[in-house]
Amino acid sequence: MGLLDGKVSLVTAAGGGIAGAIARRFAAEGAKVCCVDINENTVNQTVTDIEKEGGTAIAKICNVASETEAKTCVNETASIFGKLEVVVNAAAASEPLHTVADMPIEVWQEVLDVNITGMFLIAKHAIPHMQVAGGGQFINISSTFGHIAWPQRPAYMATKGAVRQLTKSIALDFASDNIRANSILPGAIETNRLLARTPTMEKVRERMVPLHPIGRLGQPEDIANAAAFLASDQSSFMTGTDVFVDGGFTAI
Amino acid sequence: MARLKGKIAFVTAAGGAIAGATARLFGKEGAVVVCVDIAEENVNKTVEDINAAGGIAIPVVCDVTDGAAVEAAIAKTVETFGKLNVVFNAAAFADPLLPLHELDIDLWRKTFDVNITGMFIVTKYAIPRMLDAGGGSFINVSSIYGARAARNRPAYCSSKGAVRMLSKSVAVDYAEYNIRANSILPGPIETPRLLIANKNMDDVIERHRPHLPAARLGQPEEIAKTAVFLASDESSFMSGNDCFVDGAYNAI
Amino acid sequence: MGRLDGKVAFVTASGGAIAGATARLFGKEGAAVCCVDIVEENVKQTASDINAAGGNAMALKCDVTDDDAVKTAVKKTVTEFGKLNVCFNAAAYSEKRHRLAEMPLDMWKNVIDVNLTGMFIVARHVIPEMQTTGGGSIINVSSIYGVVGAKERPAYCAAKGGVRMLSKSIAVDYAADNIRANSIMPGPIETPRLLARNPSIEAVIERHGTRLHQKRLGKPEEIAQTALFLASDDASFTSGADMVVDAAYTAF
Repeated sequence: MGLLDGKVSLVTAAGGGIAGAIARRFAAEGAKVCCVDINENTVNQTVTDIEKEGGTAIAKICNVASETEAKTCVNETASIFGKLEVVVNAAAASEPLHTVADMPIEVWQEVLDVNITGMFLIAKHAIPHMQVAGGGQFINISSTFGHIAWPQRPAYMATKGAVRQLTKSIALDFASDNIRANSILPGAIETNRLLARTPTMEKVRERMVPLHPIGRLGQPEDIANAAAFLASDQSSFMTGTDVFVDGGFTAI
Repeated sequence: MARLKGKIAFVTAAGGAIAGATARLFGKEGAVVVCVDIAEENVNKTVEDINAAGGIAIPVVCDVTDGAAVEAAIAKTVETFGKLNVVFNAAAFADPLLPLHELDIDLWRKTFDVNITGMFIVTKYAIPRMLDAGGGSFINVSSIYGARAARNRPAYCSSKGAVRMLSKSVAVDYAEYNIRANSILPGPIETPRLLIANKNMDDVIERHRPHLPAARLGQPEEIAKTAVFLASDESSFMSGNDCFVDGAYNAI
Repeated sequence: MGRLDGKVAFVTASGGAIAGATARLFGKEGAAVCCVDIVEENVKQTASDINAAGGNAMALKCDVTDDDAVKTAVKKTVTEFGKLNVCFNAAAYSEKRHRLAEMPLDMWKNVIDVNLTGMFIVARHVIPEMQTTGGGSIINVSSIYGVVGAKERPAYCAAKGGVRMLSKSIAVDYAADNIRANSIMPGPIETPRLLARNPSIEAVIERHGTRLHQKRLGKPEEIAQTALFLASDDASFTSGADMVVDAAYTAF
């Protein structure tokens, strides 16, 4: 028996490293998973992986920053699987390094659109389904950079701080509908995205491992473990919280 | 300019660098300062400095962990100057650098005795006097290590976390009586105490480098200036706050 | 002698209560103040108050979400006053109460634009001026709702959480330029805007219940005093900090 037997979930950015691991873990725990991504190839791979293991998943191509696409994606998931209870909001843009003074407004706007407005839109259209289902869980992926700063990531950090507060807002306003909302703040997780700015994972580790007291970088599965817990009834008294999964990064 | 004119302040550890600078600035800003320390010679020096600069101060040699001695010191303050409005709680034990399993229980207890029980004792005897005075302000010195861990300082870190919550507890319980309580969380400050565990100040900066974006240590006077603000009526709606004075240490 | 003698401040939303009080206090403490607001009549009033009190101020009508307009306003400030080294960012807009699922996308975007993107735009234009003049202090008005949730205000909460991290991002990226950035998190403050949303002050106090320990709201002047501290060199080691000014509201 799985932790999430019978639940229907929607996971954005499910073609990516972290959300892909979450989608696979949810399926392994018995949930039906709608895997959402803007990139068709990667999200199809996640669905194939899940099906190979005997899980149930579908793929949806969607730009979460578009209201019509977000709405259609959420409603189709509910209609295909009969309901929708769990949403993992993980879609995030990865902008080039800039300080505030040299970041073009268009770059700032794009990061805000995807990271925070996209989350708003998915939530907006998912909530009515959760209300019908008698409750639900949001797992919103913030970042340790929603808590502490890092050089040259103003838009990313502003949105990740915003995610924490949007999560608390949802937790407060929909508690009476039995909807819970929590943020996960991952430390440095070994995904391809880390390679956008550093040529090899070895180089990333050299730089980042010393900042993680646990002595290693996180794996996508570390975040998937936390997400499965937050999606399950095991965490039924947790809502509005910030869950740090960062190997002690922000503890020192 | 006398931002603390008419106020009577009780400053513990006033023979030390941070509280000494604070006592001197309090004196300069017009407060009458009762300078408290366990080390007579040091506290006498602070008092001489204040009086030489045209301020009013007296020394009291007192161990803050000794309830009777603290009670007497506070009674003497009110007998001499008529009231008590401001307490700057800074006494802290120079704990050894040791991992938890190698730390003697006695040293653990000593750290908690001075850092937090001493603060409780001073606060306990000061509150009735502040109630008599119609209000007051506690400024409790925590540390960035009350928010982030330092290696091999389990007792210090946990006692400084306790300081933050003691401040918030006082803030909540006595708000209706116009008594405020805030913590200051200093980053690395250039004091002689830093040299116990470090060769020189450059070493300290180097060790903290990723957390010190301005690549400098703080000065005791910079903590003192924050304390003046919190002691004065300028901060009349501030209570229960964690005031980081850390050159962005905790922001990273 | 004023605590901001020789400084030039750029104050957004200074036709409003909080930023207006701040601009007046900055003026009184010797700063030349450029008062900025989208409502010309209000901001002219603030500037003329400052000038009538013997200060030095000018008024500019400017929409902080308009990049060109902000750029022009900053240039005008520097042309008129020779430099710019303090920026108080307070322009904010709050949605009508909505739970997330009922909030129209346009309303969300408006709040994010004014409250978060507006601060980004102002920061990107004042920072180069601060670099030229050898440093500066940016004070961004977040809210206690950038730390805890508020009912039926998802966009406001998200934006104010974003502001908090944006400040830390600036603190880290520009520490080497001697530019400091901090957030202020006001609790409920007695402003006309608050009264417009509520039948009476008593009703607001009643609604906040036990968390408003002093059974009173904060005054705009109490935020202004905190801003003065952060703008002055008294706060020279304070950067990336969250200054909660709420009489222990969030400590409870």
